[in-house]
Amino acid sequence: MEATKERHGWKWLLCTPALIVLVLAASGPLMIVLIYSFLTPGNMGGVNWEFTTEAWFRVFWRRDIFDPDQVTWNEAHLTVFWRSISLSLQTTLLCAFLGFPTAWFIATRPPNSRAIWLFMITIPFWTNLLIRTFAIQELIRNNGTINALLLQTGVINQPIQIMYTDFAVLLGMAYVFLPLMVLPLYAAMDKLDFRLVEAGYDLYASRIKVLWYVILPLVKPGFIAGSILVFIPAIGAYVTPRVLGGGRTMMLGNLIALQFGQGRNWPLGAALAMLLLIIVVTALVLYLRWVNREEVRRG
Amino acid sequence: MAAQGAGQRGARDPVQTEIDIRKVSKVFGQGTAAFHALTDIDLQIRSGEFFTLLGPSGCGKTTLLRVIAGFEQPTGGSLQIDGKEVAGLGPNQRPVNTVFQNYALFPHMTVAQNIGFGLKMQGRPRAEVAATTDEMLNLVKMEEMAERKPSEISGGQQQRVALARALAPRPRVLLLDEPLSALDLKLRKEMQGELKRLQSETGITFVFVTHDQEEALTMSDRIAVMNKGRILQLGSPHEIYHSPTERFVADFIGDTNFLELPVSAVEGAEATVTLPGGNGTAARLPDGMTPRPGEKVITVIRPEQAHLVEDGPADLQAEVETAVFFGTDTHVHLRLPDGQGFILRRQNVDHMAEPAPGTRVGLRLSPGALRVLRG
Repeated sequence: MEATKERHGWKWLLCTPALIVLVLAASGPLMIVLIYSFLTPGNMGGVNWEFTTEAWFRVFWRRDIFDPDQVTWNEAHLTVFWRSISLSLQTTLLCAFLGFPTAWFIATRPPNSRAIWLFMITIPFWTNLLIRTFAIQELIRNNGTINALLLQTGVINQPIQIMYTDFAVLLGMAYVFLPLMVLPLYAAMDKLDFRLVEAGYDLYASRIKVLWYVILPLVKPGFIAGSILVFIPAIGAYVTPRVLGGGRTMMLGNLIALQFGQGRNWPLGAALAMLLLIIVVTALVLYLRWVNREEVRRG
Repeated sequence: MAAQGAGQRGARDPVQTEIDIRKVSKVFGQGTAAFHALTDIDLQIRSGEFFTLLGPSGCGKTTLLRVIAGFEQPTGGSLQIDGKEVAGLGPNQRPVNTVFQNYALFPHMTVAQNIGFGLKMQGRPRAEVAATTDEMLNLVKMEEMAERKPSEISGGQQQRVALARALAPRPRVLLLDEPLSALDLKLRKEMQGELKRLQSETGITFVFVTHDQEEALTMSDRIAVMNKGRILQLGSPHEIYHSPTERFVADFIGDTNFLELPVSAVEGAEATVTLPGGNGTAARLPDGMTPRPGEKVITVIRPEQAHLVEDGPADLQAEVETAVFFGTDTHVHLRLPDGQGFILRRQNVDHMAEPAPGTRVGLRLSPGALRVLRG
């Protein structure tokens, strides 16, 4: 391992073009966002170059309009943070539950038909996200397809309110991000030696135990990659909560956009954006640490 | 369920049937695409024996093993293990464990965890799992490697762990699917001895699948030779080697001379055949075969069962084509008067000169060595 690294030491140079793009397109704007979060908002949007930590303060707390010294928790913001984290976790879990059997199905097909199934998984990517999300809206709104069907068959006599709920956002995000879970899971299962599954059965394990003791530990790298790929875009999602959640079930992405738009508070938007970054990095570090500890515990 | 005491087993009647296979068949696919992997297999494997399924690849031996293990369900017939019908039961419900061709050790578990897996899945108490794991590590001499991962040990060591893992739950039957094929020659020889040792120490019935005829002959109590989904011949290594009844069996095992000879008389299980040159000699007939006098039959004789005669009476004459020196023995390629080829193997006891090409020599056949083949 060490020898290989040394011999190919110069090869990182191949990354330089990508690194340049990353530095210019990611680090640069990130620095701007970080700086903006410590400035005061301009009247018509934009910023005034006066240093303040007010934006960061207002991420969590708010001042009474008449008495600026009276400080209370900014519950609207905290609700949005909690909803973002909770919905993203739920989305990740739902994608894992839905994605595992799907990936398993594909991985157990004959090799020549797997390509077709994988291809079908990627079909949604061909259509614009916004359009697909509006299509979901068509399905779940009060006079949409699902409610119409249920009303007609007499299962319900009042339309069910799905639109503009957390559930609608969860549904939409699970739909959008499911392929991002299925593909890495499939990649992990594709490498799985199915004789190990047979060995598990042979050694008196039931189906559930084979799943738990043999399959899941071996496809764990797929779960890890899939969870990261789903959770990170989910927590910053904008389109899905905007279209399916409306104004009532805002997520972090929508809150940030609001500050740069109608809110005309760029520093607060910038601070919220930085907070999102902090949440993602913290979550990632904690998650990977937990995964590694599991690894050690299992021995 | 798998493990009621290995101790009593040694005391059991050795000819008791452990696996009773009757009319078992296995068809993959349907209609014109159907492949008959096994056809009407009838086989009784005895308790405590080292039984080998021998045949070329695609002969159905691995399929039969997988049917016994429960990975495949037979299309027809009945299969009993230890007197109980097991059709429809999964591999986890049969008192049978498998050593896989490429070991199939769990890569995420240590050697010890691999060995203890079966017992853990059976829900044995933790202490028992640990004790049996230690015992098994000791049995296969892998104590120092207990905490290693399978990727950190050699192929031969992985083989031992696979054996220990399959033996740990004390199955009634151990199935071995070409377990030695991935090892190099020296290690393979070593593991052959190791397998025999483990079998006699544990008293467990071994069902061993191989395509290596030498491996089958040296290790087995009994061998079933398979081809195209059928068992062609079943018997001890001696019977299989010395008394093949089918051309395929004779051809597959060892070097063989096939001679097409006319029958002059038949008496009971013995026929008199006419050798090239006109001498008559006795040849054993396979069960149920009675050729008419004058009919031509295929006979078989091993290269070491014919001898060069310097002087004295010979059964037939032949001309030397080439002689190949192999160290311990010399292979003499001969041409018989009627044009058929013949290979003779001569042990090099003293410094004997190789017979020169073109020489005419006399041959004597070992009495009773010539056999008539079916078909």
